[in-house]
Amino acid sequence: MKPTPCKRPESKEWGKAKNVNVTVVMINQNETVAKVSAAIEAGNMPDAFDLGRDFMLQLAKNARIEPVDDLYKTIGDAHGGWLDSTNKGSNPKDFGGKLYGIPFGQSGNLLNRRDDVLSKAGYKDAPKTWAELLEQAKKANAPPKLFSMGFALSNVGDANVQNEVLRGYGGRIADDAGKKCTIDSPETREYMKWVTDAFAAGLFPPGATTWDGAGDNNAYQSGQAVFIANPGSVYLNILKADPELAKGSKYSALPGGPKLRTAPTGLNFRAISASSKVKDLAKDLLAFMSDDKYLSDYYGKAIYGPVLKNGMNAPIFKESVLHAGLLDLALNGTPANFPDTDNLALAEYNTNFLTPKMVQKVVVDKKSVEDAIKETQAACQAIYDKYK
Amino acid sequence: MAQSTSSRSLAGLKAPRFSLGKTDAALGMGLVAPVLICLMTLVVYPFIFAVYISFTDRTVGAQVVNFVGFDNFRYIFGTQGFQESVRNTLVMVFVLQSMKLVLGLGIASVLNQAIRGRTVFRGLTLLPWAMPAFVAYLLWKYMFDPTQAGAFNMILIDVFGTQLDFLSSRELAMPSVIIASFWRGFPFWVISFLAAMQNISPELYEAAAIDGASAWKRFRHITLPSIQHVILVVTLLSTIWTTNSFENVWLMTGGGPSNATMTFPVLAYYGLQTLRLGEASAVSVSMLPIFAILAFVVVNLLLKED
Repeated sequence: MKPTPCKRPESKEWGKAKNVNVTVVMINQNETVAKVSAAIEAGNMPDAFDLGRDFMLQLAKNARIEPVDDLYKTIGDAHGGWLDSTNKGSNPKDFGGKLYGIPFGQSGNLLNRRDDVLSKAGYKDAPKTWAELLEQAKKANAPPKLFSMGFALSNVGDANVQNEVLRGYGGRIADDAGKKCTIDSPETREYMKWVTDAFAAGLFPPGATTWDGAGDNNAYQSGQAVFIANPGSVYLNILKADPELAKGSKYSALPGGPKLRTAPTGLNFRAISASSKVKDLAKDLLAFMSDDKYLSDYYGKAIYGPVLKNGMNAPIFKESVLHAGLLDLALNGTPANFPDTDNLALAEYNTNFLTPKMVQKVVVDKKSVEDAIKETQAACQAIYDKYK
Repeated sequence: MAQSTSSRSLAGLKAPRFSLGKTDAALGMGLVAPVLICLMTLVVYPFIFAVYISFTDRTVGAQVVNFVGFDNFRYIFGTQGFQESVRNTLVMVFVLQSMKLVLGLGIASVLNQAIRGRTVFRGLTLLPWAMPAFVAYLLWKYMFDPTQAGAFNMILIDVFGTQLDFLSSRELAMPSVIIASFWRGFPFWVISFLAAMQNISPELYEAAAIDGASAWKRFRHITLPSIQHVILVVTLLSTIWTTNSFENVWLMTGGGPSNATMTFPVLAYYGLQTLRLGEASAVSVSMLPIFAILAFVVVNLLLKED
């Protein structure tokens, strides 16, 4: 089989059993789109590979990956069934009537907080709303060494957590049909007041508007941030690098707003190339990689929540506070981008970081909230119009 | 046979067309073919393909591609990011090239003098250029860090009790990127100018000095005219590189804050993230007229020099 980008080399064991030569290529998850895109353009696709939901939407639309509805059912039946959240995120309707990937893990942001700092400020419990978080942040803020809101406001994926705050205040990116942008709304104004007030109060660390993808991680790990939203990499890192910080940290679901509480879970899939000459073998490999024992070991070394009901029994979900949070996210989380319609236009909106850019227009460019909202509404609609 | 043809050309005689024998022509074609194939495959084809897809709705993996005329260009020209990237690219290139030209000439003039430790200084001048770009820009990013960890803010806090948001404020982000880019790029200018200055005959300066010409006059009337060709070529080449430079902006600000440092190459990279290859190509292709003019001038100058 041709190179199979995947997380771990156990697929080699499967290859031995099947007498198939498996080439495993491990790539950074953030580079999947670039590498697979290049492979597609070069006509050199791997037989099977990991990918995120947005990319799967794109490849499914272009018929570059193989439908796997039957395999999805077979694997579900063999392993106690799929979790409800997995079924929601794998709805064939979203992909044009067929399912094109086998889910293997759920990821999402948890709120990491400095419990040691917040306890001293009188807050023992995690904030349940963004307003509560703001209140706690104001008390805990101690510049120039410690800033409360370690949330990126820059042009990086992490900054799209701002969409969840926007939705918490009742704002929406687009209407239910997924055609018309609805950024220009009273709810967006409420959200903008929350974020710009926090910025004006000096709660965001300097540099948050130009952070790269590691900006929030670095701020938290260097003891400069009280709250960050992170999928788990920080936890794994500080466990070894800074046990004291790890001991003083706690994890919870993202807070909600006055209108809604979202806890987005992103499904990660394994797909089979439409051009593969060994599709049946690839299906067999995907079934092998969905086995209970395989996934149990896998979750112990990764930062994903389960997708199958049997997967909940993996010991790591009892042993690690972070993984317990990921299990909770898998059980009680909301689909990515809920309640917005998760389509290609929204994916492009997110890739262009229009919500954090809307905030930047006010806090960096010193534009009025009204102008920022109107400009973002226009840019958003221009994107959605391309997909009509 | 080839020798005689060459001799005739050198003698200024107009060589008749197709004067080579068939065997020589075939041999010549055979020798040139590998280079031609490489150029066609690695340069011409990708170039034409990029121009072609900028007029289509091609996305990654699309099996059906439609011709959309100027739609991609109309869309990107209307985006705020593109308009700001045009302005930022022009500002960055103009300011950087001016700084490199003035300071490059000044430093080269100093290093051309018989000063003590000249060889060491010449070596040190090359260091920024020898350093890998990503290391250089990450170092500058850390020095500009807005917290107490940044070298500049450490000094500012100690001396003035205040700190500056170098990379996160609209006013300071572009100047900060320009300073880092200047530091990384000026050695090329200095070394090129220095090499050209060393070819100027010392007698010219001696004669001018005897005639009472001041240092400025000697620089103005001897040095500058003697190296003007090098100045032009270096300026044009560096302008092309600077316009195309990606890592300086990407590593330091990612184009932010709020498009304050967004340039053409960074915008094109963001375009690729959306998998809409047609639009991403349109961003790159929109730079082509500028590059075509610059490349035309450079090639003409080089041919003249030959």
